[in-house]
Amino acid sequence: MKGSMIWNLQRYSSLVILVYLVYVSSFIITTQGPISFFDWTKFFLSFQTRFFTSIACIFMLLHAYIGLWTVGTDYLTERTLGFLNKSLSKIANLMRKMYLFAFVMLGIVYLVVILYIIWI
Amino acid sequence: MFGKKLQVSLYRYNPEEDKFPYMKKYTIDKPERDIMVLDLLHLLKEQDQSVSYRRSCREGVCGSDGMNINGKNGLACITPISSVIKRNKIELRPLPGLPVIRDLVVDMTEFYAQYEKIKPFLQNETTAPEQERLQSPEERDKLDGLYECILCACCSTSCPSFWWNPDKFVGPAALLQAYRFLADSRDLKTEERLDALSDPFSVYRCHGIMNCVNVCPKGLNPNKAIGEIKSMLHKNKKDIIASDRI
Repeated sequence: MKGSMIWNLQRYSSLVILVYLVYVSSFIITTQGPISFFDWTKFFLSFQTRFFTSIACIFMLLHAYIGLWTVGTDYLTERTLGFLNKSLSKIANLMRKMYLFAFVMLGIVYLVVILYIIWI
Repeated sequence: MFGKKLQVSLYRYNPEEDKFPYMKKYTIDKPERDIMVLDLLHLLKEQDQSVSYRRSCREGVCGSDGMNINGKNGLACITPISSVIKRNKIELRPLPGLPVIRDLVVDMTEFYAQYEKIKPFLQNETTAPEQERLQSPEERDKLDGLYECILCACCSTSCPSFWWNPDKFVGPAALLQAYRFLADSRDLKTEERLDALSDPFSVYRCHGIMNCVNVCPKGLNPNKAIGEIKSMLHKNKKDIIASDRI
């Protein structure tokens, strides 16, 4: 993958998250008086909120994955772990793969649970 | 000006004798006047002949004596001790992130490998004119702030991204030079140069923390050059090349 594509994905995904936050905040700010359970349910059960929440979650996970991949490829490498301990250096690549795999699995579970809560 | 005595804490490591590096404290008589850190090292060398460091031009041109002075990278020969001294103490360490050969002497192989990677020479396969390839004053102006780099490695070795990935991230010094050739109207390999930098590590590991700008002893701005490279990578390459030719 090209570096510019990853760079763009990270920036645009943060913009999507920002737009979603503005969308939810505007509901909270513009609702007259205290927000009742009925108002809250009506807002979150509307198709557009469900759709925006799903999109925002997908982009949030994408954004987080890029960030964690960057951290992993900075700190979980043969060189960086080698500064701490030479034996750690030998298993650095395995550790990084496990770390990314664990996050991908967690991300998939997170997404499935969120989509289940939102749509079913 | 500095009190009667000056305390210098110096990073010492001789792989033939020492198992681990250590900091050795030296006390020297206060200098009569403000001197450069390199002069201070000469005074130390008179005390202890085994102290090792690189130096050559002693006027900030060769870039040999880059080192970490009281926590900030700089050239010893153009850094007055008055500008770095803290409570009569100075701490001198080698450039961070590079393997230490001995004391303040580091192995620059990884740094030069990245410099080599960006092909730091003019690439133009058209027939050379009789005298020289001409540039307009405007085209020449684009190279100011780029060609002055002396490759002292102060910027690259102050960059955490270069510490962690010196084999993949090109580093601020080499990227400044990469942009020097991308901005040169006489160079015709813009597309190839951009292709070579388009992976996720070479340029995009720069997160713009500006350490490079903060330490550059020549007052250059590698971060700006990296930003320009990123802009070029984001734009349509054919457009850039077409505008180069106009």
